Amino acid sequence: MNAMSPEASRKYDLNFYRWVRDNVDGGDRLNKCMQCGVCSGSCPLGTDMDHGPRKLFMMVRAGMKDEVLKSTTLTNCVSCYNCVVRCPRQVPVKYIVQGLLGVAISEGHQDAASSRNARFAKAFWWSAEKYGRTDERLVTAKFYFSGGIGEGIKKGMANQKVALGMLKTKRMHLGAPHKTKGAADLRKILAKAKEIQAREKGE
Amino acid sequence: MTKKVTYYPGCSSEASAKHLDKSLRAVMPKLGVEMQDIEDWNCCGASVGHIEGGKLGNAALSGRNLALAQEQGGDQDLLTPCAACYLNTHETNEKIREDEEFKGKINETLAEVDQSYDGNIHVRHIAEVLVNDIGIDKIKEQVTNPLEGLKVAGYVGCQTVRPFAATERGGEFDEYDNPTFVDDFTEACGAEALDFDNRTSCCGGSVAVMDPEITLPLMKKILDEAKEKEADCISTPCPLCQQNVEMYQDAINKEYGTDFNIPVVFYSQLMAIAFGMSSDEAALDQHLVPADKVKAKAK
Repeated sequence: MNAMSPEASRKYDLNFYRWVRDNVDGGDRLNKCMQCGVCSGSCPLGTDMDHGPRKLFMMVRAGMKDEVLKSTTLTNCVSCYNCVVRCPRQVPVKYIVQGLLGVAISEGHQDAASSRNARFAKAFWWSAEKYGRTDERLVTAKFYFSGGIGEGIKKGMANQKVALGMLKTKRMHLGAPHKTKGAADLRKILAKAKEIQAREKGE
Repeated sequence: MTKKVTYYPGCSSEASAKHLDKSLRAVMPKLGVEMQDIEDWNCCGASVGHIEGGKLGNAALSGRNLALAQEQGGDQDLLTPCAACYLNTHETNEKIREDEEFKGKINETLAEVDQSYDGNIHVRHIAEVLVNDIGIDKIKEQVTNPLEGLKVAGYVGCQTVRPFAATERGGEFDEYDNPTFVDDFTEACGAEALDFDNRTSCCGGSVAVMDPEITLPLMKKILDEAKEKEADCISTPCPLCQQNVEMYQDAINKEYGTDFNIPVVFYSQLMAIAFGMSSDEAALDQHLVPADKVKAKAK
């Protein structure tokens, strides 16, 4: 954990907290956080995070928007839900953390927007939208090459043995992706969802 | 008596977790459950769909599946074996039931293709149905080939139990920190359930795909205990847990100089063998780390 605590002399800017409260999934319970640290202590990758959720939430309250949105607390969340079921104040920690990650990526904040999470999410959604299914082969390949051709080849080579094993055990197939026949219908549904979300953002 | 349900297999059923799907299709009819697939289902969004698609876009994926399920199977229970499919579909369904405004938005998206959904289906994890509706005794009754002497580390993982296993609509089928249902399945099959401390330790989930370096220690911890307790195999309900803990053993061995070679199977594969089926029916040929000791038990 590095030292980025708000200084005592710093004037708190509540605008960011209020925005999170009103716009991030679960944010309306953020004010229930009593800084006990059960979330950070329960987090499988807590020690690989710069801050951890407990401190991150205090930083939200302190208005440290930029620091929050580039935090590795967002990108290293594994969605294990330990924090959600253990929080004694029923703060939906994972939802807020993941919601903040979504905000950081969609608003194009540096670090987050170029993070592995953003690149993986893009590859994943591409497959879901196009085929209606996750094609594990294509999503992985697209993700590997999203960091540049060199990285793609390197990661591909490193996983060659596993890929061959998956082919051999028939857990990976060659040929066209599995498809949802109604993928075009699904795209209409998703386009409408996007439109509703844009409408709400404008309100 | 046969229980008819709608079945949502999820994307991994066609790829990395084919052996979960195959063994379940073999085992469930024996337990009196008739599964009718959602015709033309789509992806649930897993744990990252919300980032690119937004919260509503991600939920709309489940919206279409729920609408199809209702069109095809009425209000009968919708079962899924996948932790992520369960989490997304159950969560969206519960939100539709609780929040009229949200329900309105989901139906606004569905109206684009003349579909709708009213929230009347109960979305359930297959493991929860096995515990609550079928019961451990019924599983025991089907065992003709008890897996005597097989030591099994029951590895539950995260999303199969969190955050819904102890909720009313989640069926209150187990606890978050010390769930025992996998051990109960193991013992019903006549095998020995090891006391496994890491039963709910996270394997890294999708972060393992994005950045295995930081998640290898998480998987190593699980494998360390399985090895120390001399497990013949690890048994799990979760497609991603199965894949991660099996697939990365080579990488962990390289990184840490270990010699892990521990098979990771699904509980349903153990049931298939215990019910007297062949290792082919149990899909035991689909492992990167061969489950030889389990195969040897097959009739």
